[in-house]
Formats: sequence, structure tokens, C-alpha cells
Amino acid sequence: MAAFKYESHVREPLVEGKKDYHQVTEDIVRPIESSPSKLWWVGFIISVILLLFGVYSIYREVTYGVGEWNLNKTIGWGWDITNFVWWVGIGHAGTLISAILLLFRQGWRTGVNRAAEAMTIFAVMCAGQFPIWHMGRVWMAFFVLPYPNTRGPLWVNFNSPLLWDVFAISTYFTVSLLFWYSGLIPDLATVRDRAKLKWRKKMYGVLAFGWTGSTKHWQRHESLSLVLAGMSTPLVLSVHTVVSFDFATSVIPGWHTTIFPPYFVAGAIFSGFAMVQTLLLITRKVLKLEEYITLEHIEVMNKVIVLTGSIVGIAYLTELFISWYGQNKFEGWAFMHNRLDLFSPYGWSYYLMMGCNVLSPQIFWFRKMRRNLFVTFFMSILVNIGMWFERFVIIVTSIYRDYLPSSWSTYYTPTIYEIGFYVGTFGLFFTCYFLFSKFFPVIAVAEIKHILKKSGEAYKPANEKVETESTEEFYHQVSHHH
Amino acid sequence: MAIKEFFEIPKKFKTWSLALMGVGILAVVLGFFVYGTGDVHHKTRFWASLLHNSVFFLLVANASMFFICATTLAWGGWQMSFRRVPEAISTAVLPLGIVALVVLLAIAWGGHHMTHIYHWTDEAAVEADPILKGKSGFLNLKFFTVWTIATVVLWYVLGQKMRNLSREIDEKGFDSAAEARKYIWKNTVWAALFIVWFSLTVMSTVPWFWLMSIDAHWYSTMYSWYTFASSWVSGISVMALFVVYLKNKGYLELTNDEHLHDIGKLMFAFSVFWTYLWFSQYMLIWYANIPEETVYFNSRITTDHHSGAYTFLFWFQFVINFLGPLLILMRRGSKRNYTTITIMAFVIIFGHWLDFYQMIFASVSPEHVELGWLDFGVAALFVGIIMYATSTALTKHPLISKNHPFIKESIIHHT
Amino acid sequence: MAEKKFVVGSFKEEAVLFDAVKKVRKAGYKLHDVYTPFPIHGLDQAMGLRDTSIHTAGFIYGIFGTTTALSFITWVFTKDWPLNIGGKPHFALPAWIPIMFEFTVLCACVGMVLTFCYICQLAPFVKKHHFHERATDDTFVMAIECTPKTDENEVSSFLNSTGATEINVQQAETGWWLGTYDKDTKPF
Repeated sequence: MAAFKYESHVREPLVEGKKDYHQVTEDIVRPIESSPSKLWWVGFIISVILLLFGVYSIYREVTYGVGEWNLNKTIGWGWDITNFVWWVGIGHAGTLISAILLLFRQGWRTGVNRAAEAMTIFAVMCAGQFPIWHMGRVWMAFFVLPYPNTRGPLWVNFNSPLLWDVFAISTYFTVSLLFWYSGLIPDLATVRDRAKLKWRKKMYGVLAFGWTGSTKHWQRHESLSLVLAGMSTPLVLSVHTVVSFDFATSVIPGWHTTIFPPYFVAGAIFSGFAMVQTLLLITRKVLKLEEYITLEHIEVMNKVIVLTGSIVGIAYLTELFISWYGQNKFEGWAFMHNRLDLFSPYGWSYYLMMGCNVLSPQIFWFRKMRRNLFVTFFMSILVNIGMWFERFVIIVTSIYRDYLPSSWSTYYTPTIYEIGFYVGTFGLFFTCYFLFSKFFPVIAVAEIKHILKKSGEAYKPANEKVETESTEEFYHQVSHHH
Repeated sequence: MAIKEFFEIPKKFKTWSLALMGVGILAVVLGFFVYGTGDVHHKTRFWASLLHNSVFFLLVANASMFFICATTLAWGGWQMSFRRVPEAISTAVLPLGIVALVVLLAIAWGGHHMTHIYHWTDEAAVEADPILKGKSGFLNLKFFTVWTIATVVLWYVLGQKMRNLSREIDEKGFDSAAEARKYIWKNTVWAALFIVWFSLTVMSTVPWFWLMSIDAHWYSTMYSWYTFASSWVSGISVMALFVVYLKNKGYLELTNDEHLHDIGKLMFAFSVFWTYLWFSQYMLIWYANIPEETVYFNSRITTDHHSGAYTFLFWFQFVINFLGPLLILMRRGSKRNYTTITIMAFVIIFGHWLDFYQMIFASVSPEHVELGWLDFGVAALFVGIIMYATSTALTKHPLISKNHPFIKESIIHHT
Repeated sequence: MAEKKFVVGSFKEEAVLFDAVKKVRKAGYKLHDVYTPFPIHGLDQAMGLRDTSIHTAGFIYGIFGTTTALSFITWVFTKDWPLNIGGKPHFALPAWIPIMFEFTVLCACVGMVLTFCYICQLAPFVKKHHFHERATDDTFVMAIECTPKTDENEVSSFLNSTGATEINVQQAETGWWLGTYDKDTKPF
């Protein structure tokens, strides 16, 4: 049976303009085949410069030790781990969009999934830098691997959340990469078959793995995607869950709380979607893909942002409430004096976090705001500032005053190399993203074609006939059709 | 073949629902004489059983409205072919809500002399206990009463608004896409309001008040989300049961294996989700090993250092709530099979009923497990109420919302 | 692998293709394969392909991962080098769940992708015969295998009657060989 292509006329088209299959290929593959614009070069060069600054900062840290950073007596985790958690969080949206939304069959994900998945991979690469270089003696990094060694054998500590992180993040990176690449293969074959230049034919010929589009292969490919999505869904939850365990398994007031796992996951989705918005708003403009990444896409993602922002809000308030309700002095102190007190050394960061993550997204209750590109762009950045501060609040305000007041630290400010390392990961992230947008189709070509006749603007008039039929007529027609 | 629009309650179904309610009332009356008039421990046993069942089944029935609102917010189309079923189930919030209000307020106001359920209602104990005294800004009768009433009333009122919105288009459809879109937006706004209230109650305050405060000293930030997951997956299972039943009786023609498959997926996914929250809460408390937190598991899990009376029950409900759904519902075929879905729905509901049982009883009577005729009898009353309320609601309005803008998408829905 | 002769027809509309597939099968021609730019639901059934069981393979890899992780950590912490970590029992199962889970997913996913690439013969530097260069763009391509008894002209006109737009006869290798797409390479 040929699937009946119909979608309610209430829904807005996901592909605008008069498009047929060939036009879709043209539009999406064109940026790969033409030389990059001036804007692309400017962005790319800036990214590489940032990356080089990051490399220099790391060089300083490796040569002179972790002392190049301003970590002190009680603040053993500062910017470094804040940045780690922040990047990992951002790395959640891609897999969420591809996996969970695939399972929920949200058609709009087809416009944004490819770029979001790529973003995920780059964000996880950035995240991975922080714990690795934080080791100080980075040449010993292989100690985290459980291999039969000459040290006794002394194994790694499987009971430690930090080791769970090693497994969680490397698994997540591997699976995201596989998921992303297996989805790319058919599109790379499209680029290969269109290529006129020799080197391009060769390069994409190698990258496309000899894909032909055979029906049997598509059938297996669909099954593979579904199972990978099914596996990635709990995986993506587990990654930030494990990151939250780094804190929550401890007995540090402000860290040890049972809601951390789902709350971290919600926050990760929240910041990840914001980053997707930031990137896609630029991408659609620069690559002229406004007809594929439409206002409808942006509106839906803004809805996800207000939803997850509010979930995070409920979690913040739950935490705050229970810190009082539990009547535990230490927990209460962490919240009342180190966070809630605006005039305490880091009180401002708690309010910044609340403002950016909980209050400001509420603006997306209004449809006008959800469809306003400027507001969306501004909010997408604000959310990620807020989410950075969330991690900063969790890490720094929980540990800067420990149980021994004599060791309460002086105010913690990062050094230039600590900041440089963070800035460097932006360089890495955007360098990768610029290269991706030049050499790979930023939108899943095959998936767009799959929904084109259902959600494409050009095919909407064909649906109007269905709208005039009564439900019963339609039902009978469909049942005979089978 | 025309679509059967109105449900007629089969005689057998009606008899069953009435019989179950009869058994339930009998159990309550008998329970009252056997336990309810005895000493404070007996009374606790009686009232705790009422608390267990009324809270569990109320949350389960309300989960149907959560389903409707969540799918409305997501602009889902697939559920339209059977949406009247969760709508009907959610009407049970009225009778169940009244019963739950009576039970909750009776227990709270009955105080320490009547039962030993809410320790914080004992004024003398609170005075002597700095921790309870510190909590009294939240754990006090006035706030408990106001909040509990507001919770149930608003659940019902907002739910009723959603149901009315759904029914008002039965007579006349839409002339234009713009009109239909307006209708969908209106639905979205009300659904969002319900979800907001839902998160301020089920996902935060209500489980603290009704259940967590039984262990008045203990606390866990996860508790409410955990309670939500438990009642939500049971709510989906109740929906599955009614859908399968109506299909077997020849109704819901537009609903097919594809829809059932998706309900099955939800049962599977949220069983795993429940386990995830279960594990996160348990593991974090186990790992940090702080006595004021681990005390919760003393009566629930046997270790080298002590034995807990509820150990078997605790692991048993874990097995049937996790391993069962995981292994059985993983296969595609079993999610499309009426019998498997029915059996698994019963298993899940029973499993989470047991979960609620241990959440309450392992705290009010930590020494012995007394699960018996009273608990099952009272449960029968609530099952009967849900059956009766749902079936009555189903007869009153067409089973299919034929003018809904998304109904045709639901007809061609495929996995 | 072997060289074979095919009659190749291309289509522009899915609906036409579906009917053509049905007619070709009914007429008893040997349908070699259909190449499409995107997955078409139901085409596999229409062609009479059996369901894939690649997900079963994934399940087995997953179970392998769980048992490997559990037994390995158990051996390390109870037999090979028991350590007291935070006063926890040596067999600290709750603490091992995260790694067991991650390893399960890792094994299942990596195993499945490798299996997929193996059974579909996909790898870098693999080259195959392509019947139509727009089969990955907007054209649905059907290849009918010729047996010694087949009359090519008859098949061609039959395809024409089903609505194929372009029809030709091609001699093609059915397997894969090593090569790149920038120059023509001989199979094997």
C-alpha cells in the first residue's frame, strides 16, 4: 500500500515554496557545490583564531600545571567543570531531536535534525576536553581505561561516578557519531552522484560507502535508525544523569539531592535547544534555507524551550523548598546563605540563573514572541548564559564555603588561561560547524523528501480535497484503499 | 458499514462495575467494624488502606487528563481516534476526588488520636520535635486543607473545560482552516493551564503533602516526580484497557493496531522511565548513605545490618514494574496483540498499586506486611467507580470526535 | 559475483511505481531491485521482501554487553582485587548499573551498525553498479533481471505500459568491488 499522504490543513507547511524532489536536492546540496561566501570565511577564520588561543591556553596549563588556573583551597572545580557540564548539556539536543522526536514522529524534526546532530557531536568533543586537561598530567589520561595493566593490576574504580562519566560520554559520542553518519550516508550518495569535479566525486564516493538506494537497504536502514533512536533515548538521558551523579552521590550540601538526574536532563535539553536555535537562525540565513527551516520550526522549538525551562524552574523550586523543608542545617545554609542571599559573594549568580532560565523563557507563552526572529535569537543566547550560570551556581556556591570557615576561600575569579580554554572550545565548536556546513548537507535531504508530499506547501492544495470529505467518507475510502 | 457513535453499556459490564462497588462498600463497612473501631493501630490500618486506594486511583484517573493535555500541547493527531476514552476516564476525577478529599481531610483532622498516619498532626509531638516544628509552616492543617481542596477542584474544573471544548464541536465542524486553527489554539491554551496546575500539584506539592509527609522527618526531592511516573504509567495502562475493551465490543472503528502499538510504546517507555527515577532515588540515597535518608529504606530492604518486612514486596513490585514490561513489551508483536496488552496493563496497574502500597504502609506499619482482604476490597470499590464513571461518560457523547481537525490524520496513522 | 543483463525502467511518481511493481510481479518477471532516493513505506512489502531482523541482532549484542560488563566488574571487585570503597560491599551492584547500561548500549549500537554495513556491503572504497545517476535525487529506478529466456524488447514495452519514463538495457555486475567514483574501475 502506498501510504496515504495527508496532513490537516491546520498545520503549517514544513517546506515552503514550490518544491519537487529535484528542487529539494538542488537547494540543500548547492552550498556544498559552490565556493563559500565571504561571511563564511570571516566566521571560519575567527573560529580558528579562537581555537588557537585555546590551544595556547592549554599549552600553558600543561606546561606550568593546573596552577595556571585560579582554583583554590575549596574551589577545586571552577570554570573547568562548569564548562564541561555546560557543553555536555548542549550536546543533548541533537540526539533528542533525532531520537525522541523520531519515536514521537514529529515531522518538523526533519528540517533541523542533521545540523542538531552535528552540533551534538561537536559539543561533546568540546566537553570532553575539560576533564581530560583538568587531569594536569594529561599523558596519564589512559589511566581511566580498564585494561590489564602493569600496576598490580590495579583496576579503575568502577564505583566512582567519574568513571561512569568516562563510559557515558565516550559511549554517547560513539553512538551519536554512528547515528549521525548512518543518516548521512544516503545524502552523501546524493552529493556523490551529482558531483562533476573529480576530487568531489572521489571524496564523496569514499564517504558514501557505495550506497545505491536499494529498497532492501532502505528497509534495513529504517530499522537501524529506529533501534538506534530507541537506544539513544535512554542513552541521552543517562549521560546527563551520570553527570549529575558526579555531584549528587556526594554528601556536599547543594549537591546531594535526588532530583538531580531528571532535572539535569531537562536543563540539558533546554540549553541544547537554545544552542540549536542560535545556530539554525544563522545557518538558515547564511545558506538561504529559510524555506526548509521555517518560522514554524522556530516556533516549535521555542515551545520546547518554554516547556523545559519551566520544568527546570519546578526543579529549582523543589530543591529550594526541600532545603528548607528537610530542616537540615547544612543544606539550608547552602541555599539560604550561599545562594538565596543576594548580597552573599555569589548571590548574584543565583538570581542571574533564575532570571535567565525560569523567568525570561516565559515570554514564549506569546505566539508573537515565538515567531519573532530577533527575540528568539536574543533568548537563545540568554538561555545559554543562564544555563552556564546554573552549573556555576551548583559547583561554586556549594563548595566555596566548606565545613571549616578558616578555609573559606577568597573570591574566585578565573585567570586569562582559564577563560582562554573556554573560549578555545568555542573556536573548536565553530570551526567544526563551519567545516560541516561547507562539506555536508546541513539538512537531511532524504528525510525532507520523505515528508515533502505531506507537509510541503506545494502539495497542500491536494489535501484540501480531503478536508471537504466527511470523516466517514474518508474512513471508508482509506479502508478500501488498503 | 457505519461508524457506531454511541456506546451502550453491556449488561455484564454494568453488573461487574456495580458488583465491584458493592464488594468495595462491603469491605469498607466490614473494615470499619473490624479495624475502624479498634485501637489506634487498627484505625491506622483502616484509614491507611483508604488513603492508599483513594490517592492511587485518583492520580491514575487524573493521568488521563494529563494525557489529553500533553498530546494537545504537542499538536498530536494520532490519539484523536480514541481520545474520547481518556476523556471519559477523567470524569472519574469527580467521584474519586470527593472520596479522596473526605479520606484525606478525615485523616488529617482526625489527628493523632484517630490514626498514626500523619505524625505532624500531633501537636504535642510537633512542639517537642524541632524538625517538625521547623516544618510546620508547610505541614499544618490549614494549608493542607486549602491546598488539597484547591488541587482537586481545579483538576476537575480545568479538566471539565477540556472536555467541554472537545464536545462543543460534535454538532458542527469548521468551515475554514483559520477557524479550525483558532479552535486548536484555544485547546492549547487550556491544556497549558491544566499542565501548569498539574506541575504545581502532582509534580511537586501534592505528593509531599499526601504521601511524603507520612514519614514526616524524611525527604527526597525526587519523590513527587517519582509518584507522578508511577501514576502516569498506570493511567496509560487504564486507557489501554478501555481501548481494547471497546475494540473487542466492536466500537472505535477508527482505532487500529497502529494506535494500540503506540499506546503499548508509551506503556513500555514510561515503565522504563519509572525505573529510571526509582533507580536514581534509590542509588543516590544508597550511595551517600546518610542515616536521615536511608531510614526510609530500613523497612523496605533487608541488608546485612537489619531486616525489612517489606523486602519481598519491594523487589516484587520492582520486577513486575520493570522487568516484565521491559522484556515483554519490547517486541513489536506484543504491543499489537490485544491479549498481551491487556495482561501487561493489568500487571502494570497492579504493580504500581503495590508500589503505592509500600510507599504508605512501609511507613505507617513498618513491622509487618498486612496486605489482605481489606486492601483488595477497598481497591474493588475504586475500580468499580472508575468503570462506572467511565462507561457512563462514554454513553453520553459520541465515541469519535468526527469534526476534530486532526481526526483524519488519526485515521491514516501508521507506525 | 557475476555480470548480468537488466532491463531498467525509471519512474517519477511513487504511486506509478507502486502499481508498476505490482504488475511486474504479477506478470512473473524477475524483479532485481528498486532504487529510490528516500525510503518508501510499504515498498518492501509490495516487492515481497521479508522483514529485516537486524533489531534482533541488536538485542543479542546488547545482552552480550550487559553480561560482559556485569561479569567483568564482578570479577575485578570480588575476585581479582577487592577494595573497600566508601564502606560499600564488594558486590556493589547499584554503583555498577550506569556502566552496565552504557556498555549495553555501546555494544548494541556498534554491533548493529557494523552488521548493517556488512549485510548491505557498505564501506569506504566500495563501489557498485548504479543503474541511474538520479536514483539518489528524484528518480525511482526499477531493474528487471533478464534470464536466458527473456525477450528484452517485450520487457521494455511492458515497462513502458506501466508508466516508466526512461527504459534501457544494461549489462551490470551485481556485487561490489574496490574502487572510487572519480574513475571507472573494472569489477575485480
